[in-house]
Amino acid sequence: MASYPKTKPVEDTVPKVNDEVAVGSDLEFQRKWWRFTRVLWMVFAAIVVADLLGCFGRGFLANAHARTNDGVMDVKYERIERFSTPSILRIEFGPTAIRDGKIQLWISDSFIKSLGNQRVVPQPEASVVGQDGILYTFSATTVPAAVEFELEPTAPGIFDLQMQVPGSEKLKLHLFVMP
Amino acid sequence: MAAVFRAVFGYCFLVLMVRTAGRRPGKQITPFEFVFIFFIGGLTLTPMVGNDRSLSNALIIIITIAVTHFVIAWLRQCSAAFGRLVDGTPLVLLKKGEWQIETMRRMRIQDDDVMAMARDNGLERLDQIDYAILERNGEISIIEASKES
Repeated sequence: MASYPKTKPVEDTVPKVNDEVAVGSDLEFQRKWWRFTRVLWMVFAAIVVADLLGCFGRGFLANAHARTNDGVMDVKYERIERFSTPSILRIEFGPTAIRDGKIQLWISDSFIKSLGNQRVVPQPEASVVGQDGILYTFSATTVPAAVEFELEPTAPGIFDLQMQVPGSEKLKLHLFVMP
Repeated sequence: MAAVFRAVFGYCFLVLMVRTAGRRPGKQITPFEFVFIFFIGGLTLTPMVGNDRSLSNALIIIITIAVTHFVIAWLRQCSAAFGRLVDGTPLVLLKKGEWQIETMRRMRIQDDDVMAMARDNGLERLDQIDYAILERNGEISIIEASKES
């Protein structure tokens, strides 16, 4: 087994100032560090501005709006979500979505698996699992008719969300979930 | 597994933030700097723990931070360059009657910070100081001028 010396003589290893005080200062390194921090502060400032604009969710740029061309669905949501943070996705239905006093809405699997749907308001009359998604049935009389979903994403990443009132146009949304 | 990554990231991010925000902890810390240190510490804790309040999660995070700390300390010992990166180097603030303006401005240190430390060393005036050095831990060391000079 290798043995290391337990002691060693003191040497003049710490650089001195004015050749009299051993300080070990390295001003050249420090100047580089100051330059680095100046860039870092600019990055921090950019992050703050980006957040105020909503680039990281919860702001102007994060809020999104989509609708089908046939006017059956009008969706307000956040295109930039945050991991494990609640948000609301609101769907407003047009008059043609109501059939026999009911609205049916199919939403793809990612709605539950990745985007973590927690709550639906109002409660659906029925929810049926199948066809790579869930088919909700809501009671409805006349417009305005709207449904709100509370999402709480379970993982960061980019997720596709599809929704459709059977017999009408399918709406595809892309949501980015921040870590 | 995610808790380990969150803990390592949180620790390294805090080290970077404290290094970037300035070197004034320890004796020179003022109430508003206390707020900064405790605030960022508390805010880092929340996403690290997440909604997992289990004892296992707490133990994993504590052990991960201890290991990260050990690795950084070991790297610091092995490499002088890495040590400078993590700790910085001592900086001269006052040398033989001359303020080192660039260092003081960049480190956001004023003459009364140096004088406070001089008083702590039993000195009454700035001209009694030969050297004032901002140490790596944020303390200011005072080297008194020799009486004959």
